[in-house]
Amino acid sequence: MNTTLQHVPTNKRPTSFVPPFLAAILSAIVPGLGQMLASAVRRGIILLSSFITIVGLMAWRIKLAARRDTELFAIIKKAYHLQPMLVVLSVMVLILYIWIIYDAYVIAKDSERTPVFLFFMILAVFFMLGWQIGDIDPIAFVTKADDAAPALSRVLWPWEQAVYYPEEHILGTFNIQVPCTDDLPQAPEMVEGEPYLSSTPACGDLTTPDGVEGTMLSVRGENFAPDVAVQILWEDPLGNEFRQRQEGEYVMVIPDANGIFEKDIVMPYRLLPPSAEADTYIWQLKGKQLASTGDAEFSMELKLAVEKIVETIFIGMMATFFGIILALPLSFFAARNLMSASPVTVIIYYLVRGVLNVVRSIEPLIWAIIAVIVVGLGPFAGILALTVHSVAALAKLYSESIESIDPGPIEAIQATGANWAQTVMYAVVPQIIPPFVSFTIYRWDINIRMSTIIGFVGGGGIGFLLAQWIRLLDYDSAGIAVWFIAITVAILDYTSAEIRERFI
Amino acid sequence: MLEIRHLTKVYDDGTVALKDVSFTVEDGEFLIVIGLSGSGKSTLLRCINRLVDPTEGDIIWNGVNVARLEGEVLRESRREMGMIFQHFNLVKRSSVFKNVIAGRLGFTPTWRSLLGRFSDADREKANTALQRLGIADQANKRADELSGGQQQRVGIARALMQDPKIILADEPVASLDPVLAHTILEYLEMLNQEDNMTIVCSLHYLDLVQRYSTRVIGLRDGEIVYEGSREDIRAMSDAEFKEIYGEEAQRITGSISGDLEEAKPGGQA
Repeated sequence: MNTTLQHVPTNKRPTSFVPPFLAAILSAIVPGLGQMLASAVRRGIILLSSFITIVGLMAWRIKLAARRDTELFAIIKKAYHLQPMLVVLSVMVLILYIWIIYDAYVIAKDSERTPVFLFFMILAVFFMLGWQIGDIDPIAFVTKADDAAPALSRVLWPWEQAVYYPEEHILGTFNIQVPCTDDLPQAPEMVEGEPYLSSTPACGDLTTPDGVEGTMLSVRGENFAPDVAVQILWEDPLGNEFRQRQEGEYVMVIPDANGIFEKDIVMPYRLLPPSAEADTYIWQLKGKQLASTGDAEFSMELKLAVEKIVETIFIGMMATFFGIILALPLSFFAARNLMSASPVTVIIYYLVRGVLNVVRSIEPLIWAIIAVIVVGLGPFAGILALTVHSVAALAKLYSESIESIDPGPIEAIQATGANWAQTVMYAVVPQIIPPFVSFTIYRWDINIRMSTIIGFVGGGGIGFLLAQWIRLLDYDSAGIAVWFIAITVAILDYTSAEIRERFI
Repeated sequence: MLEIRHLTKVYDDGTVALKDVSFTVEDGEFLIVIGLSGSGKSTLLRCINRLVDPTEGDIIWNGVNVARLEGEVLRESRREMGMIFQHFNLVKRSSVFKNVIAGRLGFTPTWRSLLGRFSDADREKANTALQRLGIADQANKRADELSGGQQQRVGIARALMQDPKIILADEPVASLDPVLAHTILEYLEMLNQEDNMTIVCSLHYLDLVQRYSTRVIGLRDGEIVYEGSREDIRAMSDAEFKEIYGEEAQRITGSISGDLEEAKPGGQA
């Protein structure tokens, strides 16, 4: 090898303006100043600006941690106490400060050395700052997981909420007279198929305040739904309902297979206001049952979720559809190869491109908020928002595929004597159809994903339901919505990939 | 008969591609245009069928000044001139058959062609053309599935569909292996001799020039620097060839044992 041809990398800087010791002192006063004067100007500027940024952020975090204190020492003390991470950070900043001083010395002394580890230190400080600002708390994963588990498990398996059993209250009543007299009210007739409640005796005394037990009643129920718990309740003469207690427990009986039950209860203690006093009272005894009356049905939540997922898919579809219609003509104005003919078209090109870029850089969620203001809540707002974003994105992708067509076939078709329409049909269209189809399906995919979320800001679709259910802490229903979204997106993912593969 | 008179082409950016070029091509000739890349060969060929508009000069094609034509009449003149390209210029995603039948576009009413409804006669013609070039079995494949040599044959078949009186071939073998170059040029020779088509072809290799041409013109910087008959070119030595052509000129042998390594760079120049 010829040595004169070998490339010798040279890191040599011009010699320092200041002696190493002075450079170190200068960097101690203003971090980075020593480096700047030691001919490593850019390094000095980077160090200075990083250091100022770090110290500024530190000051902000410390003040934030102790916002009530005013005195500097008290602020720092409290901040360190509340946020131990700030202590670590302070130590690191101190190390960084000393390191910068040392670095200034090294840089000024030896103009060939450019240590890089200092920058790793700066990175480390920023990392720790990020940790502190981001309030990162990995322990929360472990300690708070238990609290989240019930809600999460409901989201993961919400299908109990998907079905609903129609239920109905079955009620049997019987009047008890207090106290017993000779002429008791007539017991009602038992009607076939209707729940029937009876008691022997049909009258008695309440438990007294002094603890004298009331009359023991033998309650018998017939025609109740079998194997479903029956509550025993009272309705006092004032019309207040309360449940019968026995030995501290609410009384519940379960009828046998024929719907018959028997239970002995002691008449309860109940204080009535003096105004309600009379010689005899009618107390109503009730047997109440909540029994299912039919087969399982799909729940309201499930039906709503189905409705909304359909709405969601159509929001995405309509947005894609409008997006295509509007993006097609726009894409021609945004294609450089078509617009480079004259200065006017070039200006149009830049104008269209610029607007498209701005529109595209604004998230669909923001567009949805704007659309909701304009047209109100609902799917139309979602369609508008997604359309706006789709137009910008599609026009860009379309125009890029127009820009990349091969001019060869155009030339060849023209050479056969074909006219303009034939040339477009035979040389341009076959080239742009596959990328157009591919981009469109890709966009459709994105739009349906986005439409599941757009409801969070009122743009219709299942996101609207999901947001509502989450806020109502109805995690079962929210789970159904989440499952629907996941299934839809998965199917869509697969189909769109499949279709695109066919076309490319 | 094709007559080029004082043809000049200056591009918008000021590049002078052709300077006062004049020559005549008799019917049935196999005219080969030689010259370096950028010498104006492509521009010259594209001026003849007006893919490029000449700045000055006349192109008299069987008594019609193609340089002055516009619109429908221009397209009718184009129909009579088939063109073959270095990079084949096929629509890669379309089938071979669709590429070939596109050669009939100039003869088909717009609405019919937009619906893809070519006449049965045209379809028959396409099949015949494919058969003639030995690629009938590839008709339903996508054009980009074919090898380079096959793609160029599709290009020739497309040109044949026009029933051209002249074929303009812009470096038809420059993207192909030297062995395939002979195959393609033999097809052109067949069209020249059997169908009596005039061929105007640009080429790089002296061997091929000597083997196929009936006449040669040399271009350099847009000007004709050499004009010679079949005899002149056959007698030409490598040194002379290089003088008009430039140092890049390569000689290839037609056999398979030919030095492909040596031939390729010249071909791509």
